[in-house]
Amino acid sequence: MPLIKIEKASFSYGQQQIFADLNFVLGTGEIFCLFGPNGCGKTTLLENILGLLKLNQGSIFINNLNIANLKPAQLAKKMAYLPQFHNKTFPYKVKEIVLMGRAAYTPFFSAPSKEDKKKVDHVLKLIGIYHLRERPYLNLSGGESRLVMLARALVQEAQVIVMDEPTSHLDFRHELEILEIIVKLIKEKGLSIIMSTHFPNQAFYFENKGIKTTLGIMNNKKLLFQGSPEKVLTEKNMEEIFKIKTKILSYSEAENEKLKYLIPLKIIQEQKDEKK
Amino acid sequence: MLKNNLKKKLIILALLIFPFLCLFFSLFLGRYPISASMILKVLANKIFSQKEKFSAIYETIIWEVRLPRALLGMLVGASLAVSGTAFQGLFRNPLISSGILGVSAGAGFGASLAIILFNNPLMIYSFAFLGGITAVLLSYLIGRIYNSTPTIMLILGGVIVASIFSALISFLKYMADPYEDLPSIVFWLMGSLATARFNDIIISAIPMLIGIIGLLLIKWRINILSMGDKEAQTLGLNINFNKGLVIFCATIATAGAVCVSGIIGWVGLVIPHIGRMLIGNDNKFLIPISLSLGGCFLVLVDNLARIVTGSEIPLGILTALLGGPFFVYLLKKTKGGGW
Repeated sequence: MPLIKIEKASFSYGQQQIFADLNFVLGTGEIFCLFGPNGCGKTTLLENILGLLKLNQGSIFINNLNIANLKPAQLAKKMAYLPQFHNKTFPYKVKEIVLMGRAAYTPFFSAPSKEDKKKVDHVLKLIGIYHLRERPYLNLSGGESRLVMLARALVQEAQVIVMDEPTSHLDFRHELEILEIIVKLIKEKGLSIIMSTHFPNQAFYFENKGIKTTLGIMNNKKLLFQGSPEKVLTEKNMEEIFKIKTKILSYSEAENEKLKYLIPLKIIQEQKDEKK
Repeated sequence: MLKNNLKKKLIILALLIFPFLCLFFSLFLGRYPISASMILKVLANKIFSQKEKFSAIYETIIWEVRLPRALLGMLVGASLAVSGTAFQGLFRNPLISSGILGVSAGAGFGASLAIILFNNPLMIYSFAFLGGITAVLLSYLIGRIYNSTPTIMLILGGVIVASIFSALISFLKYMADPYEDLPSIVFWLMGSLATARFNDIIISAIPMLIGIIGLLLIKWRINILSMGDKEAQTLGLNINFNKGLVIFCATIATAGAVCVSGIIGWVGLVIPHIGRMLIGNDNKFLIPISLSLGGCFLVLVDNLARIVTGSEIPLGILTALLGGPFFVYLLKKTKGGGW
């Protein structure tokens, strides 16, 4: 039984159709990478999955429950969100921010319990930012902030985490750190991840780590291709969607291991009919 | 780390005790000369229900003038400060005060209208209260022009409504009888607790207490609302319901305060900041702290207003004159507490 099932999903902002007739499924311990040009509607799709926007047609199921029928608190226990942008306002401490992940479990008129605070400490240790817990999060670096937001998503104890470009604006080390944590979460905790990304190599990375990875390429309101990175990330598809020339390389560090990598080479100039 | 915790506990303890000291202290201050020992005797007499007889005037002054006024000051200050804190969190903006959705302007208009039409205290309270609530409802409706209520639309709604009501107040001032009504309107708008009697307290305390208790109960949720609508919903909050509840509580607390005391600026803007510097931004602590700070601040300022000069100085003037420099001092001392 799939954990997440999206059926014939269509969404439009007023008259403007963003995507139509989308389908995909995601099982436990799997990752779905959503890939596509800027402005193709990745974030909108993620917000629909999170219940922040309402589909015009079709439905999204989690554990066979239609998310349209779930209250925010019920959905928050099943699905957590790692936003791409987070507008920081007040200088909350890191531990206070992460504790907010317990909101769905906290009775209406009370604040989180000692038990909740223990869970926060546990998660902070798990992803290696326990030393930051007393720091005001306004002063953290981009990479550290992203880890704090990830920690907040983790204390929600959801089965699925929806990540919107989790590695955007991060340096090499922090990017790898996030990727390694994702792998750990999937392998050790059995979580499922839906993430949007601009880096096709990340899909290869997960596949290389032995995680069942599905890559969906979104363009022109559709999921044009869907399947394992190896099948979908081809030089031909990249040319078709991004109008760029690419090369896929293979590299082995050890025996029976094959690391794949996609290298962008050059833009293909569109044929403009100027000579006509 | 441990030292931090201890400091936090000390601050909390101090802010628990301080309001009672302020109340007690206020009983000794006033224009009418009563010796401290006499005041203690009158207090003891009431508390231990002895039958000793004093001059009735002492009892009246202490029980029916000074105590109600101090209690009212406490409630008004607490209401303004706590709704300011709640609104700042909700609208994710530290520059917002309890008047943001137009409640002060609306209440001012209601009061001015009642002064011209009836000039009777009860009508002034009711009109001020209704005016304040109406203004916030209008702001909310404007904010809902799009189906949801984005923060920026609510603030814009508040600005529009406040300026319309301000214009209406000016119009009423222009129309008012310059010898009788106009001075009343002007003084009302500057804010004062001078009219406080137990009856007034009871009428206005109901909305203030409902608002304060409501905000105390949902204080931790304000943290989550301050993450922004999208994140707050994915964390499990029903946004419209939670937002509406915070707006409702903060509004009736402010409207209750404004309708008895007039427009007292500054408290709702700056007390929350002083709280943030002392205790941090977690609303679980910040809301109770603002409550205590706001109450004490207003009682102390009101004491000053009563004794400094022969005629009382309007509170709105003093809160700003005293609060401003104190705030600058705190900014310098705490370096803004992480802003």
